[in-house]
Amino acid sequence: MATASKSRRAAKPSPRSEPPLLEWISAAIGLVCALVAIGFVGWDALTGERSPPEIEVRLVAVTPTPHGFVTQVEAINHGGSSAAQVTVEGVLSGQGEPETAQATLDYIPEQSRVSGGLVFEHDPRAGRLVLRAKGFAEAS
Amino acid sequence: MDANAAYGRALARAFGGALLFSFPLLMTMEMWSLGMAVERVRLLAFLLLSLPMLLGLSYYAGFEPTFRLKDEVLDALAAFGVGFLLAAVLLGVFGVLGRSGLSFQADLGKVALCAVPGAIGALVAGKQLGEGVPSARQKERAGTLGEIFLMAVGALFLAFTVAPTEEMILIAYQMGPLQALLLMALSVLLLHVFVYRLGFPGESRRREAGGPLRTFVGFTAPGYGVALIVSLYLLWTFGRTDGVAPHEIATMTIVLAFPAALGAATARLVV
Repeated sequence: MATASKSRRAAKPSPRSEPPLLEWISAAIGLVCALVAIGFVGWDALTGERSPPEIEVRLVAVTPTPHGFVTQVEAINHGGSSAAQVTVEGVLSGQGEPETAQATLDYIPEQSRVSGGLVFEHDPRAGRLVLRAKGFAEAS
Repeated sequence: MDANAAYGRALARAFGGALLFSFPLLMTMEMWSLGMAVERVRLLAFLLLSLPMLLGLSYYAGFEPTFRLKDEVLDALAAFGVGFLLAAVLLGVFGVLGRSGLSFQADLGKVALCAVPGAIGALVAGKQLGEGVPSARQKERAGTLGEIFLMAVGALFLAFTVAPTEEMILIAYQMGPLQALLLMALSVLLLHVFVYRLGFPGESRRREAGGPLRTFVGFTAPGYGVALIVSLYLLWTFGRTDGVAPHEIATMTIVLAFPAALGAATARLVV
């Protein structure tokens, strides 16, 4: 019965023949993909450190606009695990009342960098700007 | 050269199947964040388990009518490659990959997670997009263990499309104990009816398996058991069970087992 179903496809090789070259090539590509995926994930699973998220917030650029000073920042997670819903806060002082702006970044994987922006009424370049991450949720 | 051309066509069909099966997942936000956030040990276990699963699936529904172990291995590997490359290309086009600043590990996790449903689609495509008629060989070869394996793949596949979403957890929170039991009864009933009463193509042999009670004990009950186990495994892989109270885990499993049971019931149609 098996051979009957086989012979319906005339273009297919007979059961005795070797698999075509293309089959070897695509299987080899597949093997490489599987090895890359398993290798890197396994390497990360075995050797990766599991320290808590450690988020540094850096100033990238300040652009004056009619709607305030758009301050682009980037948050870099130097820690060994990911953080979600990271609240980034900037406090601008030195020009009267201190001014606070904050943004929430959805997700910062470990050893990765994510950008965001804060908007101030006064020029952050003129005063003293303190940037920091205020809190996060454990990523799941 | 003729054999190469035929294999090329089968490979193109495999890409088509992988695309149809995996695009809903590739376009789901939770899959991207899970690809980064899933605990690496669990992702590794998932990848390592997927290879023997693809091998088994290749045995039942490969994109080439194969008989020998060497061919099954080649097909399973090629299917993984198809799923992986397709996920990499599409996620790249969607702008998910290569976002500046994200680590290579994060991108790889996303692609690897999406590669498995794509690979299932690639293997199934041979039958779905091909001649369409399930050959006598495939039906006669599936014994009880084979049936259960296919049910597990069907359950995994359908549950996988919804398991990453937040809604699974939300539904579990919304449901009371009575509703959970009701959903359980509904899942079992649907599983039984879908497989043994509606007479979908490819089901004839199983309907002859004996009286209604024997069919229930022999196929429906293990089928639902498989759906529950697959659901719990997926929830654990995605980290949904961490720190959650046991009764909530049970409810989540029952919720996810509903699509899983439908997948197990229709495994024969799809896989």
